[in-house]
Amino acid sequence: MIELRDVRKYYRSGNRKAEILRGVNLQVEPGEYVAIMGKSGSGKSTMLNLLGALDNLDSGTYELAGKSVHRMSRGRRAKLRNEEIGFVFQHFQLIPNLSVYQNVLLPLTYGRKRLRRKKSRVLALLDEMGISNKKNQKPDRLSGGEKQRVAIARALVNEPSLILADEPTGSLDEETTESILNLFDRVHKNGATIVVITHDIEVAERAERILHLQNGVLV
Amino acid sequence: MKLFTVFKLACFGLWSNRLRVLSAMMGVVIGMFAVIVLTAIAIGVKDTLMKQMGSLGAEQILVLPGRVLDTANGQKDLLSGLTNVPSTLTYDDAKAIEGVPNVKSVTPHLETITIAQYDEKNVQSVLVGTSDQYSRVQHANLSEGRFFTKEEQAEEAKVIVLGNNIHEALLGNQEVPVENEESSNEAVQTKPIWKKVLDKLLGESASAEEEASLVGKQVTINDESFEVIGVLAPNATLGSSTDNNIMLPIETALATTDMKNLTKMIVEAASIQSVDEVDGAVFNAIKTQHSEIDFSVVKQDQMLGALGKVTSILQVMLFGITVTALLISGTGIMNVMVMSVRERTREIGIRKALGATTSEIMGQFFFETLLLCCIGGAVGIGLGYAFIEVWNSNIEIFALVLPMWAVKLALYTTFGIGSLFGIYPALKAARMKPSRALRFE
Ligand SMILES: Nc1ncnc2c1ncn2[C@@H]1O[C@H](COP(=O)(O)OP(=O)(O)O)[C@@H](O)[C@H]1O
Ligand SMILES: [Mg+2]
Repeated sequence: MIELRDVRKYYRSGNRKAEILRGVNLQVEPGEYVAIMGKSGSGKSTMLNLLGALDNLDSGTYELAGKSVHRMSRGRRAKLRNEEIGFVFQHFQLIPNLSVYQNVLLPLTYGRKRLRRKKSRVLALLDEMGISNKKNQKPDRLSGGEKQRVAIARALVNEPSLILADEPTGSLDEETTESILNLFDRVHKNGATIVVITHDIEVAERAERILHLQNGVLV
Repeated sequence: MKLFTVFKLACFGLWSNRLRVLSAMMGVVIGMFAVIVLTAIAIGVKDTLMKQMGSLGAEQILVLPGRVLDTANGQKDLLSGLTNVPSTLTYDDAKAIEGVPNVKSVTPHLETITIAQYDEKNVQSVLVGTSDQYSRVQHANLSEGRFFTKEEQAEEAKVIVLGNNIHEALLGNQEVPVENEESSNEAVQTKPIWKKVLDKLLGESASAEEEASLVGKQVTINDESFEVIGVLAPNATLGSSTDNNIMLPIETALATTDMKNLTKMIVEAASIQSVDEVDGAVFNAIKTQHSEIDFSVVKQDQMLGALGKVTSILQVMLFGITVTALLISGTGIMNVMVMSVRERTREIGIRKALGATTSEIMGQFFFETLLLCCIGGAVGIGLGYAFIEVWNSNIEIFALVLPMWAVKLALYTTFGIGSLFGIYPALKAARMKPSRALRFE
């Protein structure tokens, strides 16, 4: 499913060059549930951005579902993100001016797949996430847990093969964390591949495999 | 890329930011409103002037007191030329011109300001001593009675024809150029408002003692009594309206007042072909009677030439105002959109993460700007149109004219402005890197 080989990533600030990823190798099988742990600032989000085709790697190779992402044009990467990847972020990343329903609908709006019955798909997902009663509300009226449920519904709406989550419970209390993690379990049982990034060991332990990002490499 | 989807996204983007959108739109609305109204004023003024100048027919020649200076290219400079000198033109000059070959008629104007009196009402008016040709040459139609004749001129008959405003004012239906010599007259002059409203409602007059027409009645001017024989129809144009005039035979005017010098003469040539010849002959005929050249002879084409100059000045001004208004509203819109793009950095990041392509993001923001401009422009044009309608149905001095081409041009320009100023914000939005945009707080 995922294959990273000797992936490197630098950030330039002024004339200083900081190497954040220094030869990351990673293999994830389809249907696997993997957690990546690391200290704050260790480059976890940087790595998730690369996995999500949101950013370019500086060297190495990245294959996703047999396709060479590192060689893709911007347009192809946008299509890949839309069709193959679902994102869940720590800060939810919902569009404040759009309703819950419209937020979940977004990936379908940009989808080139001619999915029929878009509306019923969205409503079914909201129902599954237990937030169908909030479908016409704006995100700022929701609790943290509800926001994250919206984000998960949005990540799933296009039936992606890979779910990428960056500190999905980082802004939630213990109780809501538990319910969100239960949702991830359910999504995983339905066959999705999940990579979750966290610094919380309790979250990481729900995964099948835990990796650590240290000094720019995965161990 | 599905254009419709992008368009829909733009509509949505505008709707969900409607407060900011509204304030951004004000610039375009005001700009377009100004452009439309100014265009209508310019064209209205031009049309009105044209109509007036046009009322001087192609075969007509105007004789004016004072000397019109010649410009470098030999043209008469009517704009700066007519010096404000006392007239030395006389009725004898007019009679001399009548003898010039190919002259069909000469209509003298002997004008002065005077007070007309009727039934204790005093009305200020322009007294015009003229010939029987006046109503024909001035295109002034009679609403009642008749104009005076050649015979009445010869008899120095004390007959007058009233302009419409004067007639109404003397009847007390209207208090336009009323002058009160004694304060006791005031009570008679000003009708209470409720009475006026009643008049309007009941059609013309609810007050019993009012007369419908002054034809056949005696009006006092300069302590002499004149019989009203006709009333002119309303004739409201900028400047040379006959509404505030009282016309009487020039012979009568010379005999009963101390007026001597003509304000102008209108000479008609027998045919258009003979205008140039008559023009020269008229000039020579007056010159032989005057010791110096203190008069001017002007043909219609010279008038139109001067008018053309006024019009082109108006057009240049209009163009400048339009460009300025559009640039201001355009850059205003652009600033708002650039701000909007900055504020919505995270939104752009989210959309890109969810699969929006560069061109879809660009399209959304481009259409947002374009739509903003077009809606603002349409509203501005609509308001301008409404203003013109209201003006035209309430104000009579001159009509505002809004030609279709101006509306179309305004629409195209808003479209152009929207496109031009939409490019930069759209590029700015599209160039954002999603990984960075998502980190933006
Ligand atoms: N766009 C960027 N430009 C420059 N430096 C960056 C950028 N993104 C992240 N960094 C730096 O890279 C390091 C790793 O960041 P990040 O991947 O967000 O860490 P984590 O998610 O593990 O906390 C940090 O020191 C951060 O400041
Ligand atoms: Mg992070």
